[in-house]
Amino acid sequence: MVKHCMNNTKKTRIILIVSIIVLAILFLVALMVGRYRINADTFFKAIFDTSGQYLTENNVIRILRLPRTIIAILVGMSLSVSGLIYQELFQNKLVSPDLLGVSNGAGVGAALAIILGFSGVLLSAFAFVFGITTVVLTVCISKNFKSKSSMILLLSGIVVGGFMSSILSMLRYFAQDEAIISNITFWLMGSFAYTNMSDVFVLLPIVGIMMAILLIIKWRINIIALGQEEAKTLGLNYNLYRVIIIAMATLLTASSVAIAGTISWIGLVVPHIVRLVVGRDTKNTIPITIVFGGIFMLICDILSRTFTSSEIPISALTGLIGTPVFIFILLRKRRTLET
Amino acid sequence: MIKIDDLSYNYPRYKESVISALSLKCKMGSVNVLLGLNGCGKTTLIKIIAGLLDNYIGEINIAHKNHQKLSIIERSKILAYVPQDINFADEYSVLDYILFGRVNTMKFYASPKNDDIKKVRELASEFCISHLLEKTICHLSGGEKQIVSICRAIIQNTPIILLDEPMSYLDIKNQHKVLEQLKRVVEKGDKTILLSSHNPNHALYLKGYVFLMKNGKIIKSGESKNIVTINNLQEIYGEKICYADELPHREISLLL
Repeated sequence: MVKHCMNNTKKTRIILIVSIIVLAILFLVALMVGRYRINADTFFKAIFDTSGQYLTENNVIRILRLPRTIIAILVGMSLSVSGLIYQELFQNKLVSPDLLGVSNGAGVGAALAIILGFSGVLLSAFAFVFGITTVVLTVCISKNFKSKSSMILLLSGIVVGGFMSSILSMLRYFAQDEAIISNITFWLMGSFAYTNMSDVFVLLPIVGIMMAILLIIKWRINIIALGQEEAKTLGLNYNLYRVIIIAMATLLTASSVAIAGTISWIGLVVPHIVRLVVGRDTKNTIPITIVFGGIFMLICDILSRTFTSSEIPISALTGLIGTPVFIFILLRKRRTLET
Repeated sequence: MIKIDDLSYNYPRYKESVISALSLKCKMGSVNVLLGLNGCGKTTLIKIIAGLLDNYIGEINIAHKNHQKLSIIERSKILAYVPQDINFADEYSVLDYILFGRVNTMKFYASPKNDDIKKVRELASEFCISHLLEKTICHLSGGEKQIVSICRAIIQNTPIILLDEPMSYLDIKNQHKVLEQLKRVVEKGDKTILLSSHNPNHALYLKGYVFLMKNGKIIKSGESKNIVTINNLQEIYGEKICYADELPHREISLLL
């Protein structure tokens, strides 16, 4: 049995190492491809160039592609791992990181900012604050029911999210100006096009700290997934862990959405792919989800800016790739259950 | 080991008490069965002792410590709880599930080590479930699931084990399997066991101490052979009951 357990750990380690290598390769590919194509030879010359001979290439890589590639990886990691920990906490495999209304709230914030004529950091700040406020509102409403069941929190999330979605529709309806409406629509579909290094400096520490906490408590998430009664009697402070998980997922999702807009599917699909590969144990699924999330989002970003002259919105691609992958997983799982 | 004085409890927003002025005492190393009809308060009482329901009136002492003053971690080192079913663990392997019982011995950043796995392996061999360790929970029978739950409670290494109707969803064969394993734990004599059941035969089989419950109160208590009698059972079940003497040990059945 020790051997069995070690084999499982070994398998996870191998998958983790291989996927980190894949992520590193995709990172380099993402810096090379795009409308201004840079071949491998020029790429390496450009990044080590001090003479100014490859100034254009250097600028394209450093100013345009490096920040968006890092942001894509961080957002992919954040949304995927948030989806995983929410699915475990709420004992429901169909929930996604925006369950408690964070994305809808951020959407309202962003739409308001666009209508008020703000962009850049102010737009992100509006989206972030509204996203967090929506989750706080959801939690406050559920507290009024004085029920310990996660179902009340889940229902509050659906209600508040629906309310925010209605406000967003009203804002779009009353905005009238075509340019504003198309800006809101574009933001809602998610994009890494306008990201820069200052976004990286904001997102990196948030993601870094949250991931470090998650990696520390990764095995204990299993016990939280068994539910309040079992977790409590096994010696875990369930309510404390629930607050930690909701706070982490909210911070990760709100900061990701604030910078890159609403991105659907990834938080739902990636945890399922990972479970199919390494099983249910969160000691294995959390690190693998973090890396797989980065890979999935990077692939979507590369595709979004490679095949057409204008960028394809990220949410359109995550849906296009996510749907067949999700159906494939469901079919595989059905087959596993039948045998 | 467990001492309850004048315990009363009603669920929030309900005026009617589920438990009212209940007192009981379980000795160290004994097996105790809460016997009564569905809805008489057995599960509520088990959950209160397990620390899953707060705001009760009365006093509970566990291992000479005030129940309300115990922290979650302290309580988990004294009491292990076996729930009625373990459906949310369906995708975990049996090994992983039993290992969760070791969490209260670990630092917050730690995960199970070889030593923990070795302990689970030894216990599984003792309970004849070594062949199940690599299976996922969803592939086990109801009886096997209960035995796995009992193993997890034992690996938690607490002096008291609480079992909430461990046989409620099981057929007769599986009930027998679980009872056999429980008897093994009882015979060792190092654990105090409190379990709830609506079947008087379980109390007779385990030869333990019985608390007869009705409407949130204990109406009689004592050795199973003295308490599980036709007159006493008719008082709580309200039906005609008879002994089935031809069975290997004394059994009780409803007279249909």
